[in-house]
Amino acid sequence: MANERVLLVDDEPEFTEALSQRMESRGVEVDTAANGREALERVKGKSYDAVILDLFMPEMDGMETLRQLLATSPGLQVILLTAHATLETGVEAIKLGAADFLEKPAEIQQLMERIRQAKAGKMLLVEKQAEEKIKGILQTKWW
Amino acid sequence: MIGADVSHEVRNVLSVIGEYAGLLDDLVGLADKGRPLDHAKLRNLSTNIAKQVRRGTETMERFSRFAHAADEPLASFDLVALVENMVALVQRRAALAGCRVQAEFSPPAIPVRGDPFALQHLVFSAIQAMLESLEKEEPIRVKVARRGPEAVLCVSGPAAGGEPSGRISEQLSAAVDKCRASLETSLADGVLSLVFTIPIQ
Repeated sequence: MANERVLLVDDEPEFTEALSQRMESRGVEVDTAANGREALERVKGKSYDAVILDLFMPEMDGMETLRQLLATSPGLQVILLTAHATLETGVEAIKLGAADFLEKPAEIQQLMERIRQAKAGKMLLVEKQAEEKIKGILQTKWW
Repeated sequence: MIGADVSHEVRNVLSVIGEYAGLLDDLVGLADKGRPLDHAKLRNLSTNIAKQVRRGTETMERFSRFAHAADEPLASFDLVALVENMVALVQRRAALAGCRVQAEFSPPAIPVRGDPFALQHLVFSAIQAMLESLEKEEPIRVKVARRGPEAVLCVSGPAAGGEPSGRISEQLSAAVDKCRASLETSLADGVLSLVFTIPIQ
């Protein structure tokens, strides 16, 4: 199976650098973005299995970034990873469509598991979309 | 609000240290499997951890100074040091708002006898009011100077579409009264200035 491709979005450069190294040593391809705008640009040009997103960032906060990411890429698997987790923000993020919500510092094994789950979720979605497309074609052709 | 900001900052520091600890763990794991330890990486990690510890320590020292200001309602203190501490404590808040706060002053000290906590509240409220009202990306400038028997604190920044200074004055009136200070606002060349005159004694 191909490596997982992840976009890590966080405004703490030391954090992104260290976590990127840890994920890369586990076979994950990692791109980074320092804020929401950069993240939106990145997802336009590349397909990711998961986006790991911080909540508090300059320019555009995590919730707004989540909204815009899902508006432009429906089905994108977004995992919020934040040092400022509250039950309310967790519920709001899941309601908005986040795949998961984790508190920093997360255990690397836990994070890797969530990334794998996100990839599986994405694959399932792609399969469903393909199935729907095939069904549509079959119906229009009267097969 | 300052307490929440500091707590966020410290949690960020701990998160970074947590990831460095994880990297160390990964290096040890590789060494257990027979790969030689990379000394340069280890040195780099220890330097980075020390840097984060300094960052956390500085934040906590600043917060401690902020919190201890509430110990006595009347105390002798240096206004320059108090304002400098507040400017440092609001930087993260300002960065999240897409802005930064620039301290444009230096010693000598301005000795003041008054309520340090009330003055901290005034400085914070003024910066917060500016953060909510101003054009982003341009810095908010904070100046403090002595003028005869008084001190003058000026918080200024580029106003967004002629920010109504009356609203800000009203918003700050309780904090101004608590410090026995006075406030003058002005809008010139698109720059909104809040000028507080504070009694030294």
